[in-house]
Amino acid sequence: MTQFIRLFYILLSFSALALTARNAYAIDSQNLPDINPTYVSMKSIDPVRLVGYTVGDVIEREVILTVKAPYKLIETSLPIPGYEKRHKGQVIGIELKSIKHTKKVDDNSTTHHIKLAYQVFTNNIVAKNAALGPEYLNLVNLKNNQDIVKFRIPTVDIAISPIAIFGQVKIENNMSPFLGPLPLNHDKEESWLKLSLIFLILSALGLLYILGMRAWLPRMGGTFSKVYRALRKQEKSTQGLKESVALVHAGLSTTANFTVFSNNLEQFLALKPNFIGLKLELEQFFNLSRRINFEPKYLDPAANFDSDVNAQLWVIKFARRCRDCERGLSPEKLATPSMKAGL
Amino acid sequence: MSDRQLTDWRNHALNLESEVNKVVVGQQNPIRLITTSIFARGHVLLEGDVGVGKTTLLRAFTRGIGGGYQRIEGTIDLMPNDLVYHTYLGEDGKPHVSPGPLLMSGENLSVFFFNEINRARPQVHSLLLRVMAERSLSAFNTEHYFPHMIVFADRNQVEKEETFEIPSAARDRFMMEIPIVVPNDNDIMEALVFDTKFHNVDALVNNVKPDVLQFDELNAFSGVLQNSVDTSDTLKKYALNLWKATKAPLDYGVKVSGVDMNRLVLSGASPRGMSMMLRAARVNAWLNERTAVLPEDIHAVFHATVAHRLVFSPVYEMRRTEIAREMLNGIMNAVAAP
Repeated sequence: MTQFIRLFYILLSFSALALTARNAYAIDSQNLPDINPTYVSMKSIDPVRLVGYTVGDVIEREVILTVKAPYKLIETSLPIPGYEKRHKGQVIGIELKSIKHTKKVDDNSTTHHIKLAYQVFTNNIVAKNAALGPEYLNLVNLKNNQDIVKFRIPTVDIAISPIAIFGQVKIENNMSPFLGPLPLNHDKEESWLKLSLIFLILSALGLLYILGMRAWLPRMGGTFSKVYRALRKQEKSTQGLKESVALVHAGLSTTANFTVFSNNLEQFLALKPNFIGLKLELEQFFNLSRRINFEPKYLDPAANFDSDVNAQLWVIKFARRCRDCERGLSPEKLATPSMKAGL
Repeated sequence: MSDRQLTDWRNHALNLESEVNKVVVGQQNPIRLITTSIFARGHVLLEGDVGVGKTTLLRAFTRGIGGGYQRIEGTIDLMPNDLVYHTYLGEDGKPHVSPGPLLMSGENLSVFFFNEINRARPQVHSLLLRVMAERSLSAFNTEHYFPHMIVFADRNQVEKEETFEIPSAARDRFMMEIPIVVPNDNDIMEALVFDTKFHNVDALVNNVKPDVLQFDELNAFSGVLQNSVDTSDTLKKYALNLWKATKAPLDYGVKVSGVDMNRLVLSGASPRGMSMMLRAARVNAWLNERTAVLPEDIHAVFHATVAHRLVFSPVYEMRRTEIAREMLNGIMNAVAAP
């Protein structure tokens, strides 16, 4: 029995020793001397946003560690995913979710790329501080196995936000003594904007039409429309009459696509039946042209103008009636041609 | 000359037309053109198929004009001297020389009718050139003048065997070339076939009142007529544009279907041709009781006075009549006045 108790104590002592040794290693990892900074250099890529994290968020940081010979990273000292972080014995609620480690070995140094992903497993009713890390890495001197040192990856401080505002908010207490900007009624401006846009579009269409057809309105680009406008601008004189007659001749020829004379008037009327209603006036026009251009002694008994100005007024009216015919309108019948008045 | 005399002569001219229209039916336009040519003192060439009445028409006019009338038939063995004289052995057994058709009527020759002119040789055409242009001839060491003479000629365009194409220089001497076509009117066609009065040409022509015109006063009156009918600046410009268009139709946008217009015209109307056109247009204006020439007067004579003067590229000569008609129509349609 005594022997059994002795054995029990021996086992108990060994167990205690084993636990002590394990604790001693963990303690050693933090209590190891720091590495001479000349042998190691670190660069970290930390999250840009340091606030506003809440439960479930994953925060990543990357550490690039270059260790110069003769030191070498003890890879078993890399942090283990799932390991709870504590601060002053309290679980801080930040857990290493995953780690990716790659290294590049050169002659005199080794570069380690360590990607750490932490996940938040805590929340609070108000914002609270937290930190990623620190992490302790152990390094060994390859020339001296007893020379084991540590390197501390510094922490990154973050703030964890609550999911919702805690408690009830009394609106009356939360009101500002200042009046905020009142929303303006923009109906009027919107109407003006719409009208302006419509006007702009119509103007643009009109401009296109002007540029395309050289006329302000549909049908104003017709041959006799142009002739009529040109005739109205002519000076009222003998020379103006001659030019007016020439303009009407040109209009007739353009309309017919051949030169119209009194001897092919029937051909013109057959081709342009819209003008049949003007047959009498066409004949009078050619008689007037005969007097103006070719035979001054000729007097048309049916169209004896008392002055060139009156004749010119008649030509203008005749051109307007030609324009009406061109537009498919029926010119009103002449009751009694009054040549003296030119009307 | 007073307006009354102009009117009197116009009545004579219209009377002559009327007389000829009685015996040659359905040819009002050629008859008007020939009348125009007589008063413009220009020679006339009739062109048309066989048996369409060319000779009858000219004979009828000849009777109406009065004066000396001579006629010769164009044949392949006709020589220039045949127009001037012929020799024969008389009853006395001695050789005799008689004046030929050109000399027989002396200065009173008013109409020299050359039938089937394109059957005569170029030598004969050559003689005719001078007679037509200068109305004179040198023979027997004497200069013979024919101041009142008008040459009427006809030719058959269809038949080409044993014929000689009239050169452009000879064509240019004719004031007008007038196409004679069979009338389309059924009544006229029926009359020409069944009416016995048309069967005897001599009797038919004798129906024309003789000497309607005084042939020896035509030259003087023609000069007066030409001076009495005005041409305005606008018309002069129009006529010049027409002339230019005959030389360069493409410049006026004139096109003829199936013809390369760049190659078509070798030579447009000649100055003589355009002057003859204006003479004829003046006569047309006078016949229509106008005191000045209108574009319509030019149109009335444009084809007849210009078409035969155009010189086309040889490749188009076979289609000359058709092309000339289309081109001149195109010119009249394209050139504006004013």
